[in-house]
Amino acid sequence: MARLFIFAVGLLLFASAWSSSLNVDGSSKRLLVLLDNLGLRESHSFYFKQLKDRGFDITFKTSDDSSLQIVKYGEYLYDHVIVFAPSTKEFGGRLDADILTQFVDAGGNVLVAGSNTVGDVIREFASECGIEFADDKSAVVDHLNYDLSDDGQHTLIVASPSNLLSSELIVGQAKKNNLPFLFRGTGMSSDPENPLLLDVLTASSTSYTANPDEKTLSEYPATVGKRTLLISVLQARNNARVGFVGSLDFFSNDFFLSAVQPNNGKKSDKSGNQDLAVALTDWLFKQRGVLRSRNIHHYLKSDKSTPRFYTVKNDIVFNVQFDEFVHGKWMPFNGTDVQLEFVRIDPFVRTALTNKGGQLEARFRVPDTYGIFKFVIDYNRVGYSHLYSATQVSVHPLLHTEYERFITSAYPYYISTFSMMAGAFLLSFLVLYHRDDLPKKKAE
Amino acid sequence: MAARVTTNQSSINDDSELTTNDPEHQTNVSSKKRLSSSSNMLATSSLISPTGLTSLISFIVLTCAYISGFMSRLFSVIRFESIIHEFDPWFNYRSTAYMTENGFYNFLNWFDELAWYPLGRIVGGTIYPGLMVTSGVIHWFLHMINIPIHIREICVFLAPFFSGLTALATYLFTKELWSRRAGLFAAAFIAIAPGYSSRSVAGSYDNEGIAIFALMFTYFLWIRSVKTGSVFWSSCTALSYFYMVSAWGGYVFIINLIPVHVFVLIVLRRYSLRLYVSYSIFYILGLILSMQIPFVGFQPVRTSEHMLAAGVFALLQAYAFIDYLYTKIPRAADIKQLFFGLIMIVGLIVFAAVVVLTYAGYIAPWSGRFYSLWDTNYAKIHIPIIASVSEHQPTTWTSFFFDLHLLICLFPVGAWFCIKELTDERVFIVLYAVFASYFAGVMIRLMLTLTPCVCVLAAIALSKTLDYYADTETSDMSTSPVVPTNDGDGEDTESDKNNRNLYDKAGKPKPIPGRRGTPGTNPEAEEDTSIVSSNIKTVVVICIAMMLMLFAVHCTWVTSNAYSSPSIVLASYNNDGSRYIIDDFREAYYWLRKNTPERARVMSWWDYGYQIAGMGNRTVLVDNNTWNNSHIALVGKAMSSNETEAYKIMTMLDVDYVLVIFGGMIGYSGDDINKFLWMVRIAEGEHPKDIREQDYFTENGEFRVDRTGSPILLNCLMYKLCYYRFGELQTDFRSPPGFDRTRHVEIGNKNFDLQHVEEAYTTEHWIVRIYKVKKLANRLQAKNALRQVQRRKSIYSTTKKVAGQARKQGVILNKPQIKKGTKVSKRKT
Repeated sequence: MARLFIFAVGLLLFASAWSSSLNVDGSSKRLLVLLDNLGLRESHSFYFKQLKDRGFDITFKTSDDSSLQIVKYGEYLYDHVIVFAPSTKEFGGRLDADILTQFVDAGGNVLVAGSNTVGDVIREFASECGIEFADDKSAVVDHLNYDLSDDGQHTLIVASPSNLLSSELIVGQAKKNNLPFLFRGTGMSSDPENPLLLDVLTASSTSYTANPDEKTLSEYPATVGKRTLLISVLQARNNARVGFVGSLDFFSNDFFLSAVQPNNGKKSDKSGNQDLAVALTDWLFKQRGVLRSRNIHHYLKSDKSTPRFYTVKNDIVFNVQFDEFVHGKWMPFNGTDVQLEFVRIDPFVRTALTNKGGQLEARFRVPDTYGIFKFVIDYNRVGYSHLYSATQVSVHPLLHTEYERFITSAYPYYISTFSMMAGAFLLSFLVLYHRDDLPKKKAE
Repeated sequence: MAARVTTNQSSINDDSELTTNDPEHQTNVSSKKRLSSSSNMLATSSLISPTGLTSLISFIVLTCAYISGFMSRLFSVIRFESIIHEFDPWFNYRSTAYMTENGFYNFLNWFDELAWYPLGRIVGGTIYPGLMVTSGVIHWFLHMINIPIHIREICVFLAPFFSGLTALATYLFTKELWSRRAGLFAAAFIAIAPGYSSRSVAGSYDNEGIAIFALMFTYFLWIRSVKTGSVFWSSCTALSYFYMVSAWGGYVFIINLIPVHVFVLIVLRRYSLRLYVSYSIFYILGLILSMQIPFVGFQPVRTSEHMLAAGVFALLQAYAFIDYLYTKIPRAADIKQLFFGLIMIVGLIVFAAVVVLTYAGYIAPWSGRFYSLWDTNYAKIHIPIIASVSEHQPTTWTSFFFDLHLLICLFPVGAWFCIKELTDERVFIVLYAVFASYFAGVMIRLMLTLTPCVCVLAAIALSKTLDYYADTETSDMSTSPVVPTNDGDGEDTESDKNNRNLYDKAGKPKPIPGRRGTPGTNPEAEEDTSIVSSNIKTVVVICIAMMLMLFAVHCTWVTSNAYSSPSIVLASYNNDGSRYIIDDFREAYYWLRKNTPERARVMSWWDYGYQIAGMGNRTVLVDNNTWNNSHIALVGKAMSSNETEAYKIMTMLDVDYVLVIFGGMIGYSGDDINKFLWMVRIAEGEHPKDIREQDYFTENGEFRVDRTGSPILLNCLMYKLCYYRFGELQTDFRSPPGFDRTRHVEIGNKNFDLQHVEEAYTTEHWIVRIYKVKKLANRLQAKNALRQVQRRKSIYSTTKKVAGQARKQGVILNKPQIKKGTKVSKRKT
């Protein structure tokens, strides 16, 4: 029993965090900020101050620093990395796109901002994550939704909150506040089939990405309409989160503070940039939307014991504890849409788990099919980390002693058996004791 | 009368039974028996030494047959080691070990989680437990008398042990059928005949090993019971049949052959009360007993395979009843036609009832396996999984000679002798010969059931010939033929060389009235004796002896060279004649056992399922117990799809490792590429939309793995797993890299990468290759081809960088000059 449980937990850990050498939750807050220009510390100081207030332990480095290093003796020195160095062609020191990718694969979170010039190493890293930046010198242009302070190229665009992903976990209050966002930078595109990417903010349908210096569009724009991604995030399968923002200025003090005057709408005193930037960073760096499951138990309903295997048609109880990482500590999870599946290739049972203060429970009857089954919880919701747990149990057929002994419908057969036995006995009795008389009679 | 064709003694018996029909006929027969045996007793007591000598000789011959049968099967143990062979034996061994550890009832309820993931397999209900129980009993017995032997040794040596017993059973059978001398010959033949030793060498721990013994013993008891008509013997037959049912699915052969025998006897008008008693008792007891085996269950009353036995049983009852009426009704002879008609009608009714029940669904129709026996192409078209098994292929003519050598030539002669001097029991052996020859021709595996029959008939032929030719003295001193007399007392079975001389003298006048029924043989024989001189007889005897010697040599050679390879250990010979052991299979399985997680699931073609479970102790998806065709088809589909499609199936089935057998490196021909078309066919049977066999052929309809091969083949999972990194390997100086030595071609698709699997282990000679199925990619890369190329380049540059200069300055485009005191403006492009 205990062994099974240990195994179940082991399997769960194995299944849910198969390469995580880094923190799963956001409790560790070592942050590296790479800048291509140390002046950004000043121009984006509001943003960094917000991070500092949230307890992040920030290290600033220029991206071409020759002592740059994120992994030392196989241990990662940071949990999160912000790359505000769009024009970096090659990182300095021991860092390159590959190592950054490995960092993500190990569970590290990264935020990347682009601008009109995107260096090779950034492109390479983005492409590893399924994101493509538009070509150099191109910018998102929107001739219908631009800020009036624009310099005439219509590259300072106003992104409407209606194009924002409606997930409070990721965007925080930004959607509710309904403030427009200022954006100046390049557009991104991704494969719409990619299930791991979330389009957080897209441009309006009238936008496109091209080189604004060219008077006429010589070739088809890199991205067009709503497929122009302004902010996109990746939640990798190991729940590492990577954010891509097309505009470095998006995080700048200017944009945080400035009022927005769209060419065609009403002016708002404040842009939504700050809300969104901070909420997004919180989400990216695992301060929100992180789930974990623990204490998986399954047992017979009748005597609350966990047998080595179940038998068909057993009534069983399955329960599991779900926690959510909220404000720096683990709290019981309150979602009621978690489902449990009892799977043997196909799910034989699919039932909702009732939630009692984070303690999820399901009661069901094992199907009348033997085999090797798995209790599968596959909780995949936008904004939450993907939670997958599979616990293997085997379901055996009835033992030879467990079948019904006396079946009502078989009574005719029982009767016929015993009547036959009696008849045979009587007949042999008759034959044995009456045979002598017959020949005599005949002889007579 | 019906018994006219038979010899003297039996015809008397027949007559008495057919005509008298009194209730005392049993005692009549038995008293007769007693009489004859007492006369024998008299003979023996008067001539103790010759009889004792014959018994001694028989005993010595049988002991020698037993020992040689046992010894000739030990080649593999001596050459290799005491291991379990091939595929099925591994499962049998595993379940036997399980049974000895956990007891019989746990074995009966054993749910095997290592097999057929995720379906599992109820072992107790899907096997014939006779084999395991037999070895378990032996194990228990040996341990009881304090011989602490490991169960593996018992399993390894069980088949040779039982082949010795088979020799004894064959001796008894032949003795019952013909004479003791023929019996000795038959015992010697069956002990070493390659057709039988192919399935019973040491280590070949399979059902057939004990089933042939059970088969022959059941037949012996059946013959005995037909001859005596005693309840005792037919009950024994039923018990022996029960053992056979518990041991092998081939019991169907018995339960069809015996009814056919009964039926033919009725048709030949050889019906007797003995037959009635023995068949009725055998059928009812056998039916009840056979239903006790969980795997058989209700099949004997529910499937068409068993309906012949039931139908004949019903017919026999009707016949017995009508026969009884015939004797009771006065002047019945006048309305003979009526009785005949009645019997015909009953026969038709029984037949119609079976047909109707089949259509109504109460009786399962013939299974596919059975159809394939009638139509050899049936399996190929409808059930590729049966056709894919090599031992289900039709037999080639050469293998008849290969497996039976001299015996196959003597076999028809023996059959002819039996037909010429027909008795009830010889009808049986003739029928056995006819059916077994047909089945052996259809399926190479059924050569096994033919072998005992061939041995018996060849022994009869040889014995009859030698009776005549080896007996120089009698031919010198008398003209009367000796042989027919001896054949005649086949039932008596007390004929041996010394006794016979005596018997001949005493019964010399007897043959002449006895021969009256067979006028054909007599003049011939007399002519022969007049012509053949003793010298020629000697020459003939020497020739026969030499042929027998050649037979023995052939048998030894075949057993040692063809049938003694364990097939999990391969041996090859170097140029200097030294042996080179290729042990890749065990290497791989051991690797699996030691290096993979305990619950890892291994996907392989079903051939290797039992071995992976037995030696590797890992969960397999499909195994040699091919009970679920669609599951196998799913594996076949995974193997024959491209990597992406295969990955979907593999994730669906939770596959952790994939194991393939690849012989291209050393030229091992039994590898997965050669079996591949079967995988395609089986997959096509279940998924005709996704897999088409035609796609795997070249335009000329050839199956080629070289450059001309079809692109679908060159990109399917099986190809990739077999040939991954093979293109880099030069097996020989004369051949190009990637030269497949099994198919003698340079492979068509070299230097490819694997996307969803990674190589985990490859054995020394590349025979077994194990791949680990990767988890889903953590990220999905962008699909733009241009960027991919760029990425490639930069990867090379970074590797150079890491190797060369670790602490280097990065490069920032448009790096702005920093001037102190000014705020950095936003860059303009």
